[in-house]
Amino acid sequence: MALPEFASIDADSFPKHTPLDGILRNDTRIVRYSPGDIVVREGDYGNSAFLVVSGNLRVVISPALPRNLIGRQLSERKNIFQALAQLWTNRTVPEVRDTSRYGGQSVRDGAQAETDARVFLQDIPAVLDDHQTAQLGPSTLFGELAALGRVARTATIFAEEEAELLEIRWQGLRELRKYDQTWRKTIDDRYRENALKVHLKSSPYFSGLGEEELNEVADATLFESHGSFEWHVSYKRMRDQGKADKEPIIAREGEYPDGLLMIRAGFARVSIKMGNGERTLTYLGAGDSFGYDELWAGHQGRDISLQTSLKAVGYVDLLRVPAPILEKYVFNKIGHQAASPLHHLATRTVSQDAPLEWAVEQRFVNGTKAMLIDLNRCVRCDDCVRACASTHGGNPRFIRHGRTFDHWMVANACMHCADPVCMIGCPTGAVHRSLETGAVVINDDTCIGCGTCANSCPYNNIRLVEISDIAGKMVRDPDSQKPIMKATKCDLCETNPGGPSCVRACPHDALQRVTFQDDETFGATS
Amino acid sequence: MSAIATRYTLLWGAAIVGLAILGVYTYLANLQLERTEFITGYSLFALMIALALFNARKKLAMVPLIRSAYWLAIHVVGGAAAVILFFIHTGSIWPTGGYEQALALVFYLVSVSGIVGYAIQRVNPRRLVQTDLEIIYERIPAELAEIREKAEAEILACTEGTGSDTLARHYMETLSWYFRRPRFILNNVFGGKAVEHWLRLQYRTVNRYLNDNEREYLDRINDLAEMKAKIDVHYACQGMMKGWLLVHLPLAAAVLGLMFWHVIVVNVYAL
Repeated sequence: MALPEFASIDADSFPKHTPLDGILRNDTRIVRYSPGDIVVREGDYGNSAFLVVSGNLRVVISPALPRNLIGRQLSERKNIFQALAQLWTNRTVPEVRDTSRYGGQSVRDGAQAETDARVFLQDIPAVLDDHQTAQLGPSTLFGELAALGRVARTATIFAEEEAELLEIRWQGLRELRKYDQTWRKTIDDRYRENALKVHLKSSPYFSGLGEEELNEVADATLFESHGSFEWHVSYKRMRDQGKADKEPIIAREGEYPDGLLMIRAGFARVSIKMGNGERTLTYLGAGDSFGYDELWAGHQGRDISLQTSLKAVGYVDLLRVPAPILEKYVFNKIGHQAASPLHHLATRTVSQDAPLEWAVEQRFVNGTKAMLIDLNRCVRCDDCVRACASTHGGNPRFIRHGRTFDHWMVANACMHCADPVCMIGCPTGAVHRSLETGAVVINDDTCIGCGTCANSCPYNNIRLVEISDIAGKMVRDPDSQKPIMKATKCDLCETNPGGPSCVRACPHDALQRVTFQDDETFGATS
Repeated sequence: MSAIATRYTLLWGAAIVGLAILGVYTYLANLQLERTEFITGYSLFALMIALALFNARKKLAMVPLIRSAYWLAIHVVGGAAAVILFFIHTGSIWPTGGYEQALALVFYLVSVSGIVGYAIQRVNPRRLVQTDLEIIYERIPAELAEIREKAEAEILACTEGTGSDTLARHYMETLSWYFRRPRFILNNVFGGKAVEHWLRLQYRTVNRYLNDNEREYLDRINDLAEMKAKIDVHYACQGMMKGWLLVHLPLAAAVLGLMFWHVIVVNVYAL
């Protein structure tokens, strides 16, 4: 409370059920960083913002730090001979690692827990010489956009000297923004300044606007988030108990639209009342918008309420562009251009949409490379499993088992999610997106086996394995003698030529890696 | 047309054209009094080697060879073409020499096992989907053991809870046989409904001797029995999908071996 950023807050503006001291007690903590420690990494997903309490940090502007310096994997694709050599180099003992490699990247052990471990830069002067950086001093807040918007961090920040930071979890940040004017203004202004205009520009509705017009749109745009960041917790409960939590309603069928809703992150379900339930017509992800047709009809003089409802599937972060702004800058300039999801009703039956309902309910729509098996074609030969094992040192990276609907099965293989929950909280940044393929991969060298990713993955697609050294002996922690664990998962055979070996190995065309949004069976309309 | 249908259509077309070209070439060679059986024989030999390479492809999953699905299509169409080529080569259904008869017999067996296997692989996956259950073959024994334990726990609870041993006696006399291991395998292989009939019969048989309390236990045991029936279908159908290869592969190896010796013998004695 002694920090000026908190001392100036009027504690009375917070409701009794969410008092300011409660937020600070539950959703913040002081973290100390040593010189060189990386605080946030470019490309990481995080659920915390940071306020510098003391010490100086550096943000790397350009060029970005080499990937191996920040704990990423330098994956080189094998050539055909190296791929073939796996035939005789694969050992009979699975999960063999060349442990001499592990010293190559700098990981500092956690002071209290494994999850406090972090990658650090050994040669700060060299980094400062070779990269353009900017200093972040005390009272600087950073990381709030990535934390609230569930988007990747845009820069790497490291401690230049001993530094003390206040880490604020997204829940706390959301409450501070909600109940304190100053925090709200700081966060919103920053978003407007750094990200909103870029986002609006990329939208077909506002791409043609000039700088001043765009500023007006940005100033009028409201930010909203629905659902919970930790949706995987309630989702896991739903999978275990079979009972889904109520999805937060963003816009209700029959109500009048007051603005265009543009999804920034997460997924939302577009549904319509049917009998005593709701029928899903489609789902929206980042870049999609809702309510345009009704607003257009209003502009045309027809009094039309919302034809469909919009509900958060897990977590949704969105922008609300008020109707008058849309009238002024969009309808009068570019006219009508969206297609209503209601056309779906005329073209598809409830039975045809059943797979879509299932995929949305099971949140498989999050997957960009889900392993979808057509059980009508699968002869359960396990060629896919063997192929996976033969390209991953003798241990498959998936289980040919999973949730089924009719003759479709989504197997327990990493889906390389659009919203990768597993990447949140990895202390060393070992779980990351490959720059080459966009696949979510794990850097074995910096993985400390803490299990954060495996626990977070809503679909149970990450496994912790015990590793062996080249001699086949189990690798153990020298102090505790406990086996060293490593997180493993499907990496889409990133280092192997030819793409995922599971797909290539299936003789019956039963196995595919799919993006649900593009799959006709699951509601893709194009 | 789907990608799979297109693939097979193209391959069937290629096979027909290939066989037609070979047929014309053989006919013309025959007119010139050449040894046409060498042309058809070596063609068949090459085709059989190509078919056998499918298995090698499976062992080389880490190398970006052509997708296994294409290999299977080539294997299926090539296998059918091999049968026709075999008839062209031998000029009859059943050759005359003893060794050739052995070779023909194994060739027919490998062809029939291939056709049967293909049919099994087309039919059984759909039958498994209809059970509304998916289970990994290797986990079946553990699943059955778990179901058996649950059933026995219900029986014990019934005896303790109701003080009656009617259901326990029926279990010991009859139901334990069913729960012990996969049953009705042959019937399940052919898609019969013997297990459903048997379970209904057992339910009716014992139901008349039970009171309402005991019937609750019987219903739960019946649920477990129905679950086991589904697993038994998986055991039979998945077992068949794995088992036919144990016939096809050794026979294929045998036909390759016999074929090699046949080529050597022909080259040594017939030239």
